[in-house]
Amino acid sequence: MKKLALAGLLAVGLTGCSSEEPKVLNLYNWSEYMPQEVLTRFEEETGIQVVYTTYDSNEAMYAKLKLLDDSAAYDLAVPSTYYVSKMRQEGLLMPIDRSKIEGFDNLDPELVNLDIDPDNKFSIPYLWGTTGLAVDTADIEGEPVTAWEDLWDERFEGRVMLTNDMREVFHVGLRVLGYSGNSTNPEQIEEAYQKLTELMPSVRTFNSDAPRVPYLEGETDVGMIWNGEAVMAEETMPSLEYVYPDEGIIAWLDSFVIPKNAKNPEAAHQFISFVLRPEISALISEEIGYATPNLPAREMLPDEVANNRASYPTAEDMTNAEFQVDIGDEALQVYAKYWEMLKSGR
Amino acid sequence: MTRWLPRVYLVLVYLMLYVPIGVLVVFSFNDSRSGYTWGGLSLRWYQSLFHNNAMVEAMWNSLWLALSAATVSTIIGALTALALHRYRFRAKKVLNGMLFVVMMSPEIVLAISLLALFLLVGIQLGYLSLLLAHVTFCLPFVVITVMARLSGFDESLPEAARDLGASDFTMTRTVLIPVIMPALLAGWLLGFTLSLDDVVVSTFVSGPSYEILPLRIYSMVRVGLKPEVNALGTLLLVFSLVMLMLSQWILIRSKR
Amino acid sequence: MPSVTRQPFRTAVLVLVWGWLLFLVLAPNLLVVGASVMTRDPGTFIALPLNLDAYRQLFDPLYLEVFLHSLYMAAMTTLVCLLVGYPFAWALSKLGKQRQLLLIFLLIVPFWTNSLVRTYALKMLLATNGLINSALMSLGWIDEPIQMLYTEGAVIIGLVYLLLPFMILPLYSVFDDLRQELLMASHDLGAGRLATFIHVIVPLTLPGVLAGVMLVLLPAMGLFFVPDILGGSRNLLVGNVIKNQFLDARNWPFGAAASIVLTITMAILMLAHRLSKQRLGEGGAG
Repeated sequence: MKKLALAGLLAVGLTGCSSEEPKVLNLYNWSEYMPQEVLTRFEEETGIQVVYTTYDSNEAMYAKLKLLDDSAAYDLAVPSTYYVSKMRQEGLLMPIDRSKIEGFDNLDPELVNLDIDPDNKFSIPYLWGTTGLAVDTADIEGEPVTAWEDLWDERFEGRVMLTNDMREVFHVGLRVLGYSGNSTNPEQIEEAYQKLTELMPSVRTFNSDAPRVPYLEGETDVGMIWNGEAVMAEETMPSLEYVYPDEGIIAWLDSFVIPKNAKNPEAAHQFISFVLRPEISALISEEIGYATPNLPAREMLPDEVANNRASYPTAEDMTNAEFQVDIGDEALQVYAKYWEMLKSGR
Repeated sequence: MTRWLPRVYLVLVYLMLYVPIGVLVVFSFNDSRSGYTWGGLSLRWYQSLFHNNAMVEAMWNSLWLALSAATVSTIIGALTALALHRYRFRAKKVLNGMLFVVMMSPEIVLAISLLALFLLVGIQLGYLSLLLAHVTFCLPFVVITVMARLSGFDESLPEAARDLGASDFTMTRTVLIPVIMPALLAGWLLGFTLSLDDVVVSTFVSGPSYEILPLRIYSMVRVGLKPEVNALGTLLLVFSLVMLMLSQWILIRSKR
Repeated sequence: MPSVTRQPFRTAVLVLVWGWLLFLVLAPNLLVVGASVMTRDPGTFIALPLNLDAYRQLFDPLYLEVFLHSLYMAAMTTLVCLLVGYPFAWALSKLGKQRQLLLIFLLIVPFWTNSLVRTYALKMLLATNGLINSALMSLGWIDEPIQMLYTEGAVIIGLVYLLLPFMILPLYSVFDDLRQELLMASHDLGAGRLATFIHVIVPLTLPGVLAGVMLVLLPAMGLFFVPDILGGSRNLLVGNVIKNQFLDARNWPFGAAASIVLTITMAILMLAHRLSKQRLGEGGAG
C-alpha cells in the first residue's frame, strides 16, 4: 500500500508539473462496460477527470482511433483479443511500462502472456466473457433452446436478436456448420454467410450497444447476448436465461491498451493500476457481470456472484468453447464483405 | 360538412405531431423506471440528470458551442448578406449558389467533406472543428434571414449617409446594422437551435475532448429506454420554446 | 489597386466571406470528389492509384439493392409527407390570417425540438410494450401486440414525423400566394371543382411541391440515426452506408462515391425545381 501511494505520488509529481490544466484521462470503452462508481472513486483519489466515451464494435473503435491518431484523442482503449494483436502489429500502441503498473501479478496466469501479445508488452487484461444464447423462457413454447442451431427454428421468426458484431455473428454461423469460429478459409466464410442468410428473416434487430435491451423491451425472445448483459438483465427479467450452446460458446478477453499518441499515458498507467486493485476489480465484476481475470478479486466476490454460472462458467460449460483470435487483415476483408451483404440483404 | 372536415384534418395532423412530445413530457415525471407504465409523480429523473457529471459537462459544452457558432455565423452571415445586397462584384451568382448548395446538401455530405478537410489540414477534432462545421451549416440561414430584411429596405438612407461623407464602415454601423437588427437576432436564434440540435455533422467532426449533448443523447438513446432522456428532452423542449417565442416576438415587434 | 484603399471594409468583408466559403465549402467538396476516385488503403484511408472502383462498387447488385431500398424508403416518406401535407397546407391557407400564424407557429415548435429526442419519443410509442400497443390491447382491438418497432414502417414513420414540416411550409407558401381570383375565374369559365384542381391548382402549386420534395427526399436518405433507433440496425439508409464506410469499414473512396451520388440527386431535384418555376413564370407572362 505504501509502495502504491509512493508510485501514485511519483506519477502525480512527474506529470503534475508538465501541465497546469486539470488532468484528464480520455477513456474509450464499450458502452456500459465500467461502473460509474469506479470512475468517481478514481477521480476522487487522483484528481484526474475521466472522460468516458463509448463504442459498440471493435471496428468502430479501431476506425475512430485511426481517425483521431494525430490529435491524440484517447489515452486508453479496450479492444477485444484479436484487435489487440492487430493494433500491436500495426504499431498503433504504446508499450506499457510495467514498472508503473501495480498489481499485474494479480492476474490469472492463464490469461496473460497470450499469443495476441507475448509478455503483455502492450496490453493488460481487463475483463473476459462469453457470448452465448439468451432465451426468454416466459415467451418460448416447445422444445428448450440448447444450441445455436435452434435459432434457425421457424417458431422464432421475427423474434431473434444478434449482436451487431461481425466476428461474433460469423462465429455462430461457422460453428453451426462445424467449422472453427476463427476460420480464415474464404469458402467456409461464404458457406457461413449462406447459412446466416437463412436466419435473416428471423432476425429482428442487431444490437451491440446493450444487447439485453431488446429482450427486456419484449421485442425479441431468443438470440445472442453477452454474459454480463444477461447477468445485468437477471434482476428485472428473471425469465431471461443464459444458455451455453452445444456447439460451444464464444469466448473473448478485453484488454486495456494505450494508443501510441496518448496525451496522458501517466494517467492511463495509473488507471490500469487502479482497476487491478482486487477490491476495484471485484466491484466491476459484481456490477456489470463479466468475469474478472484478477484472482484475488475473485476471492472477494460474494458467493452469488462467484457461483453465477453466467459470469463464471464451469469447466463443463466451456466444452467446445472457442476464444476469438486474430485472423489477419485479408480474412477480415472477406468477413467485412459478407457482413455488409448480410446486414443489408433483405 | 366541407366546413368542419378540413378543421378535423388539421387537428388530427397536429395530434400526430404533438402526441409523442406530450408522452415524453408526461413520462419525464414518471416515478417508474419503465417507459411504459405509470408509477406516480416524481422529479427523480431530473435529479439524476443533474447528478450526472458527464451529462452536465456535455450540456455546458453544447451551450457554449451553440452560443459561439450562432454568434460567428451571425457576424459572417450578416456581412455576406450586406455584401450581396450592396456590392457589385464578379461571381456574385457563384457565392449565392454556394450558399444555396450548403443549405440544400444533405447534412451527411457536408459532414464527410468537412471531416476529410480537417484531417488533411490537421485540425484536431474538438471544439474548433465543431465550431467551423456548425458555423458553416448555419451560415446560409442567417444570410437568407438578413437578405429578406434588406430587400424591403429603403435605399435612400445609406445613400444619404454616403453623401454626408460617412465611410462604408460607418454607414454600415450606424444605418444598416440598426435596420437589420431584428433579422440578426432571429438568425442568431435559428443558428443557436440548429447547432444545439445537430447530430449528423457532429458525429463526424467531434472528438472526445469536447463531448456535446446531442452525441451524449445519441449514445444514451441507442442503449435503450432511459427515463433521463425524457427529462432532458422536456428541458430542451422548454428551452427551445422560450427561444422560439423570443425570436417571434422580436420579429413581430420589429414589423410595427 | 485603388479599390482596396478606397474601400477597405468592402475588401475585408469580401475576403472573409469568400475565404470561408472556399475553405469550408468548395475545398472539402473537391476533397470528397478526389477521395471517391482513389483507392482504399487500410493505413492512410486513401491512396493512389486513381480509379473508378468505388463507383463500380456502387453498381454492384448488392449495393444497388441497398440504394434502391433506401431510395424506396425515402420516396415513401416523401409521398406520405406530400399526401398528408398537401391537404394540410390547403386547409391551413383557408383559415383566418391570425389563426394561420398561430398554427404555423405550432408547426415549427416541434422542428425546434431536438430531433433525437423526438425519435426516441416515437420509440416509446411504437415498442411492443409501448403505449400504442397497450392502448389497443386494453381497448380490446387486438389480442397480440403488433410488431412495429424495428421494421421498415417504423423507419418511414420516424422520417415522416421529423420531416413533415419541411413539406408543409413550402406548400403553405404557394397556397398562400394562390390568388382567389384565379380560382373564381376558373369557376366562372365553367370548370368544375376537379377541373379547377387539375388545371389550375396543381400547376400553380407545383413549385411548392417540388421544393417540399427536395426538402424531404434528401434528408430522408441521410438521417442515419432514424434506422439506428427505429429500424434495429436494419432497413439502412444511404446515410448509414456512408457513415459505416467512414466510421466503421474505413472504405473512404466508396463512402465518398456514395455521397457524390446523393449530391447528384440533389442537383437533379434542384434543376427540376428551377425549371418548373421558370415554366410557370413564362406561362404567366404569355
